[in-house]
Amino acid sequence: MSLRVDAGGQKMAAPQEQARVKPARDPARNRERFYWYCLWPAFVVLIVVTLIPTLYLIVISFTPLDLTRPETNWDFSTPLVNYNLILEDSRLHNSFWVQIKLSFWTVTIQMILGFLFALLLNSKSTYLEALRTIFLIPMVLPPIVVAIIWKVLYTPDISPFHWALEGLGFVVPSLITDPTWALWAIIIADIWEWFPFVMLMILAALQMMPEEYIEAARIDGASVWQTTVYITLPYLKGVLIVAALFRLVDSIKAFPLIYILTDGGPGTVTEVTNFYSFMQAFNFSYLGYSSAITVTLVAATVVLSWGIVRLVGWGKAHD
Amino acid sequence: MKATSDKSNQANTKPQAGYSRRKILKTAGVLSAAAGLALPARIGYAKEFDGVTLQGASFASTFFKYLENYFPEFEEQTGMKVNFVTNAFPVFNQRTDLELSTKGSALDVINVTFIYSGRWIGAGWVENLKPYVEDPNLTPDDWEYKDFVGGTMAALVDANGDPHGFPWEAGAMIMIASRGDLIEKAGKKLPTTFEELVDVCEAINGVERTAAFTADKLHHWNYIPYMMGFGGNVFKDPPGNLTPTWDTPEVAAAADYYGALLSKYGPPGVLSFTDDQAMQTQKTGRANIRTQAITWGVPVAKDPDSRTKDTVRYGMVPGGPAGAFPGSNSHGFGIPVGSKNKEAAWAFIKWAVGKDISRRMLEEHGYPSICRQSIIDSELFKETLTLNGQDVASLYGEVLKLGGDSGYMKYRTVPQFPQIGDKINKAIERVATGQQNGTEAMAQAQEEAVADLKKSGVQIDL
Amino acid sequence: MTEAATDLGELRRYHLRRLRRERFILHLVVTLLLIAIMFPFLWLLVLSVKPMEAMFAWPPQLFFTPTVEHYIGLWDGEFPKSFMNSLITSVGSTLAAMVLGVPSAYALSRMRTGSSAGISLAVLASRMAPPIAFTIPYFLAYRYIGLQDTRVGLILIYLTFNLSLVIWLMRSFFDAIPRSLEEAAWIDGASHWQSFFKIILPISGPGLAATAILCFLYSWNDFFFALILTRTEATTAPVAVVNFLNYEGWEWGKIAAGGTMVMLPVLIFSIVVRKFLISGMSAGAVKG
Repeated sequence: MSLRVDAGGQKMAAPQEQARVKPARDPARNRERFYWYCLWPAFVVLIVVTLIPTLYLIVISFTPLDLTRPETNWDFSTPLVNYNLILEDSRLHNSFWVQIKLSFWTVTIQMILGFLFALLLNSKSTYLEALRTIFLIPMVLPPIVVAIIWKVLYTPDISPFHWALEGLGFVVPSLITDPTWALWAIIIADIWEWFPFVMLMILAALQMMPEEYIEAARIDGASVWQTTVYITLPYLKGVLIVAALFRLVDSIKAFPLIYILTDGGPGTVTEVTNFYSFMQAFNFSYLGYSSAITVTLVAATVVLSWGIVRLVGWGKAHD
Repeated sequence: MKATSDKSNQANTKPQAGYSRRKILKTAGVLSAAAGLALPARIGYAKEFDGVTLQGASFASTFFKYLENYFPEFEEQTGMKVNFVTNAFPVFNQRTDLELSTKGSALDVINVTFIYSGRWIGAGWVENLKPYVEDPNLTPDDWEYKDFVGGTMAALVDANGDPHGFPWEAGAMIMIASRGDLIEKAGKKLPTTFEELVDVCEAINGVERTAAFTADKLHHWNYIPYMMGFGGNVFKDPPGNLTPTWDTPEVAAAADYYGALLSKYGPPGVLSFTDDQAMQTQKTGRANIRTQAITWGVPVAKDPDSRTKDTVRYGMVPGGPAGAFPGSNSHGFGIPVGSKNKEAAWAFIKWAVGKDISRRMLEEHGYPSICRQSIIDSELFKETLTLNGQDVASLYGEVLKLGGDSGYMKYRTVPQFPQIGDKINKAIERVATGQQNGTEAMAQAQEEAVADLKKSGVQIDL
Repeated sequence: MTEAATDLGELRRYHLRRLRRERFILHLVVTLLLIAIMFPFLWLLVLSVKPMEAMFAWPPQLFFTPTVEHYIGLWDGEFPKSFMNSLITSVGSTLAAMVLGVPSAYALSRMRTGSSAGISLAVLASRMAPPIAFTIPYFLAYRYIGLQDTRVGLILIYLTFNLSLVIWLMRSFFDAIPRSLEEAAWIDGASHWQSFFKIILPISGPGLAATAILCFLYSWNDFFFALILTRTEATTAPVAVVNFLNYEGWEWGKIAAGGTMVMLPVLIFSIVVRKFLISGMSAGAVKG
């Protein structure tokens, strides 16, 4: 194809000649055709790598596929068997509940912390600007490294926190094996990893905020508190919603922290749906059942996001 | 002139080796004479497996740390390169299960894990080794397959009695007290019953910053001797009837008992320990008593970096009202059906559990869990397993005998045990962390197990 | 007069002092917060150079002679191979996604159709699906086409998130480039391909860089796909480190060294190109 247009005047002469003729004939159609050439390879690949697998997943979810029993492959005799099982599986129901707790606390606290840090860092100071990048480190780290970092901090033998507390005379149980604390151990690590994301988005929005807004209010005698609540927050509404939505969606995908820190335990205290589905599929080979759980989970996520967008308006988020 | 003969031999036998030998396996006998002519030219000529890289995998065990030392000579003998990867127990099982389920060719030789043996062999995922053993060209007579201790082969044969693996570990559960001195100082003796165990733990817990009890998180292995000791059982009558029987007072009492051992006397974070980490707590003297397979007990006395090698004491696993049921198991090498280097894999297995390496593992590294009768009977075995002045060899024999005689270990090799075991793990975690009592936790686990068994199409009584 | 002037000067100086003090306090607070937040991360770095015998010592040793033994131990094993696998799959997937995605992002940006909503939807949907939703079908399909435990297999599955990311991000970059630029080129007789390659691409350099880096980071950071789809040949660095963590759970020095190695490329990248990175991330996020 003409993809190999090299630099260099001489070589370009010929295509130029062509180009001069073609658009003259039908420039608009010619352009459309060019756009389609650009579009279709990516679209075909996108369909192959995402759409077809998704359909395949849905199809599998109607079979009792269990890799230890080859006869269950493509067995559609009881298409709803997995979905019926979902209704009865109390451990799965527990996992939904764990997921709700995890999502609620991580998103809420990340939003608050991200907002506060953004306010702190949003000042014209070269020093603070230099520090901004460092604050982003937790979110760019590979999630698996974040998990290892917290594994170290939660392991009494080598944790500086446990040393310090023991030095002060407190013996604290290992958080990740304590049922009241295990989920919080995950929440804390997740907040640490992702509050910079919220901070980054809010900072970006704050820097686009016209300063006159605040100044005008100040001249009218508004306090810092008042300008924050009545001017900054409403201005940030759109970006706050988008950030919260992103964090919510990502919190449903939580995996490495749980895999490394608690393995879903103790008991099933930190077993979120995603993790339970992983166990069903890749520890016990119940791929059919796991597919059904996953389809349900994705559907719930889509409906939830759609609901939020409808409720608060996606259009405004763009400004 | 040697060079030429090398070359010509390579040219002649190499390409046909893989092909013809595979064929022989099918039409055994007829062609064996012809192949027999080509094969004796093994040593001094081109090596049989030049250019083959053998991919092996197992869970981490001291066995492989020792075996690694002999890889160079094996590679020298055969020409193949051995790439053996070890992982933590659950990780290895999970990844290998995945690999086997796809019938992939990423692995050539694997450990057939005890609790997965029923599942993997039953699903036809690991190669039947009978043709390999019976082919005189592949296996010399003096390799003696009958030399493996009877009990260790039980989990590695299929319904027809054909072997699908050969054992490298005969696991026998014993009690290891890394700080026996603390027990003596408290005026106690090594516990032999559940009551005494709690009594001792109570007396020594926390003394000199040492927790009284330690364990790894594989509760469905560690807890079962307690469950059985109290008079409970995992299944009604395995392998025929897999109805779980966990809603009994005995099972509940055992769960409460074992949960308390972990929560009251375990070091911080005990519920997250892997095999290795639990052993580490004993070697560093941070925890005292553990009931686990002998493989994990010997290094406490043998490893140079163990700080407790002069204080460690060994004993039988304590018993309960129903008796003592120390766990016994075996792990063996097998070949995934998807492997593309099956003959090389067999050569490796033959070598790794052969008499020579088994003896040297014992002699040079003190590896205890030998599976060959001829070696267990030897004087060398007794000598090596005299640890810190104690005769651990007899302990070992006694446990193997107990497990072999009554067959109480059958529960472990049913194909569904991986899922069922997970329910027990979770139940014990809930008890040990005080979320539920034994009755509630085991009843819930039973409910989950029943659902899971039904999902697998297993008939049960409930 | 003079009195008032001095007062005014005093006042101004006072204000300035107060402002300086406030700024000082702000800087101090932010610096302290920064240290607190970076502490877990720094602790891992410290651990990776802590000698084995100092690791479990009681009372804990805060000062010790740093060592590289853990890194050396790591480098002798399987780790370098997995590190290379990570590099190859990340770069491979980034290239594939860019080559496919950039032209189509351009076309989407220039076409006057309502397909932008559709694209946003596709992108959002692929972001919402937990990795397991793709892993199950890929896992099953790879059994048949022999792509399990291959780098190609990983590159393909990384396209599930990278391709839509490229289309999405690059479209917003192209949107910011006025059409008059290429229209002028057409009038001068350039073909569409020429105007795209010679005019549009060169001036979208920063956007291309930011997008490529994000793709690289997302692929590099992947854990789940590699965990399920690789065994021995194609294992990536994150999986190798986790294997290690599970295998020798008490060799914290080596685990920390492994973690440090895995995050090193990410950190270097982030620092070198922090401007692009931030613009890429905030553009990607805000444009939602």
